[in-house]
Amino acid sequence: MDMLTEFGAARGQAKWSLRAQFQLTGAQRDEAKWGLLFLSPWLIGFALFYLAPMIVSLLFSLYDFVLSAPDEARLVGLDNWRRMLAEDPNTWEALFVTFKFALISLPIGMVAAFLLAVLLNSKHLLGRNVLRTLFYAPTMVPLIAAILIWSRVLNPQTGWLNQLIALTGIDAVGMDGLRWLDDPNLIYIAYTFIGLWGIGNAILINLASLQGVPTEMYEAASIDGAGWFRQLWSITVPMVTPVIFYNLVLSVVGLLQYFIVPYVLNGGNGYPEGTTNYYMIYFYKQAFPFQNMGYGATLAWFMFIIGLAITIFLFWSGRFWVYYAGESK
Amino acid sequence: MPTRKQVTLFVLLSLILALAASLAQAQDPVRIRWYVGLGAGTDAPLVAAQEAIVADFNESQDAIEVVLEIVDNAQAYDVLSTQIAAGNAPDIVGPMGIRGRASFPGAWLDLSSLIEANNYDLSDFDPALIDFYRVEGEGQLGIPFAVFPSFLMYNADLFDEGGIPYPPSAYGESYVDWEGNEHEWNIDTLSEVAKILSVDINGNDATMDEYDTQNIVQFGYGSQFTDVRGRATLFGAGNFVDAEGNAVIPDVWREAEQWYHNAMWEDYFMPNAVYSGSEIMGGGSANWFDTGNMGMITIHLWYLGWGTANLDAAWDFGPVPSYNGATTAKLHADTFSIMKGSENPQAAFEVLSYLLGDRASDLTSLYGGMPARLSLQSDFIERTVAAQSEAYPDVDWANLNWDVVLAGLQYPDNPNHEEGMPSFLEASARYGEYGQLVDNNADEDVDAALDALQGDLQAIFDADM
Repeated sequence: MDMLTEFGAARGQAKWSLRAQFQLTGAQRDEAKWGLLFLSPWLIGFALFYLAPMIVSLLFSLYDFVLSAPDEARLVGLDNWRRMLAEDPNTWEALFVTFKFALISLPIGMVAAFLLAVLLNSKHLLGRNVLRTLFYAPTMVPLIAAILIWSRVLNPQTGWLNQLIALTGIDAVGMDGLRWLDDPNLIYIAYTFIGLWGIGNAILINLASLQGVPTEMYEAASIDGAGWFRQLWSITVPMVTPVIFYNLVLSVVGLLQYFIVPYVLNGGNGYPEGTTNYYMIYFYKQAFPFQNMGYGATLAWFMFIIGLAITIFLFWSGRFWVYYAGESK
Repeated sequence: MPTRKQVTLFVLLSLILALAASLAQAQDPVRIRWYVGLGAGTDAPLVAAQEAIVADFNESQDAIEVVLEIVDNAQAYDVLSTQIAAGNAPDIVGPMGIRGRASFPGAWLDLSSLIEANNYDLSDFDPALIDFYRVEGEGQLGIPFAVFPSFLMYNADLFDEGGIPYPPSAYGESYVDWEGNEHEWNIDTLSEVAKILSVDINGNDATMDEYDTQNIVQFGYGSQFTDVRGRATLFGAGNFVDAEGNAVIPDVWREAEQWYHNAMWEDYFMPNAVYSGSEIMGGGSANWFDTGNMGMITIHLWYLGWGTANLDAAWDFGPVPSYNGATTAKLHADTFSIMKGSENPQAAFEVLSYLLGDRASDLTSLYGGMPARLSLQSDFIERTVAAQSEAYPDVDWANLNWDVVLAGLQYPDNPNHEEGMPSFLEASARYGEYGQLVDNNADEDVDAALDALQGDLQAIFDADM
């Protein structure tokens, strides 16, 4: 057989195997139909409430479209995209604010959730079940209510956080004290505090993962003389990396969409000094209060692209640091 | 196989059913959606009362069915703009002030032709008030409904505690102080009185050197439930845009803003941002006067009732102080409008006529407004006293100084503090940011912040061209 014939035969075989792959038996076809039937509510919902609006919003981004004057909408091509990328400094400032906050909040939130889970997993902890419930409980408080409570807790004059700090002798109360929500140097710490209030879910997921680490590994390490920290670093952390990865992806996506806390606390006005003018706040203001839906849609798509790029990067990086037990490489 | 007879019977039955359905449809009443949210009307006690008015109308005839839509004020603007964009706009919107109307330029129907076609009688209104709703390039966008004059409210118990006389009881009257000296009732006098009413935890007032500004428990004066334009109007009327479309900061507003900043951060007789969110001033609800820790406020008629629902103290009305010899008691004026997108403008106008005619008296009492109809103004006080006495019986409504409330109508702000601007929503957001900046920072240079505001507003206005 010459080379060309060999190549032809190989091509034919590949085609055949591909066809065979999609050639289903009657039973398989029935199974596939049932599968699709059960998936259909989600598929229909996705198509109606996500895919279609996404496509429409992409079209909006090509229009000068004011919400209260839909009849006057006009096609402007890529003008909104040019304005966003080249002419509007607020876009980049809002992105900067979002990433700056993420860099502070993300590590604190993830490390806190992990360490608390380790603590709640400890055999030496008294009242473990009660504490687990207590740490999870804040998650059940509606977010808006929690934020409003926090705004009172952080009040410089009468908030109990400053009153508590003042007991240590620090002059924290009053106009010259710690103005958590007014001081650009403290604002991200304050917002991170509020975020920590709701880490119950992350603790729970970490805890479930910690309970899945085989105890024999700790026993073996202990016999080999490994201390607590060595066991944590060399056994626990690698074994729970899939969950750390999962929390990381969710946290990043959540932070890119960060909106509710600044919106409830200051109506989205960026106070203090623009430090809370997050990207989603800016998008919301443009799309709804300012009614520039065309430009708002452009901002939304830009965030979608950024989020997608970061998620792809995280998945790519995962192959270097996420350990899946039983996975063959 | 069905027989020919069966098929014929089936077709006949279908035709009869279709005919019956179309007949039923033809008799269906026209649906008119009434949207409440851009102004008063969203508080829980008002909902049932508005529903009752809608029920009365629906029962009175078969041709029109009114559907009430109440959206909380915080969301009402977004919801309405989304409805307009989706081609699902309501027919009637109201009550709403100038701000509500200005937020949706071009969205309102010119009522001129409907007024003419229906021979609507406008003789019961002050012609100046009718013109108030005539917008150049857009037409007659509303029919006058209610006005809400502003006035001073003072906590009489705190004046008694401080041993100082109450504010004057009429415009033009002097303030007679605790030593019997007469003073013009102006901003300076108000400031002095407010300082005495501002007290720290040790009982020192703001005129004393010992006044502990870190531990204030009672303030003398406050300007609440308004924005920068509203509070600055205490010093005189103005706007951030001039006739040529340029961004401006009126001189009296510069002076006003400096005065407010000093009141908050130098003299400490008005709550700054730190105190305004604290428990002393009501925390989250932030209804200062209602806490009993506020001596005086300037406020509108719509505040009555709910505003003092928890106040356990005697209080009364007083005149708004003058500035440089001129008094400005800012005015809110509400109306109902029909949206351009209404599919049934004639039916909507009939409902509008009902709300602003037959039910104007009920609705103005409900919203706490003074009727724009001249024929309803004479017994306005009696009706308000009766309504408030029923809802809030702990207050002696009949013996309040109502004359000074009505007299405030003689000093309206022109231009109105809610008047439109280019890119209204964006410009409003920008001056809101300015307000938050200066109210929160003791060291803020007010003049520089106003200059920056003017520059930014100009950029916003230019982008709108």
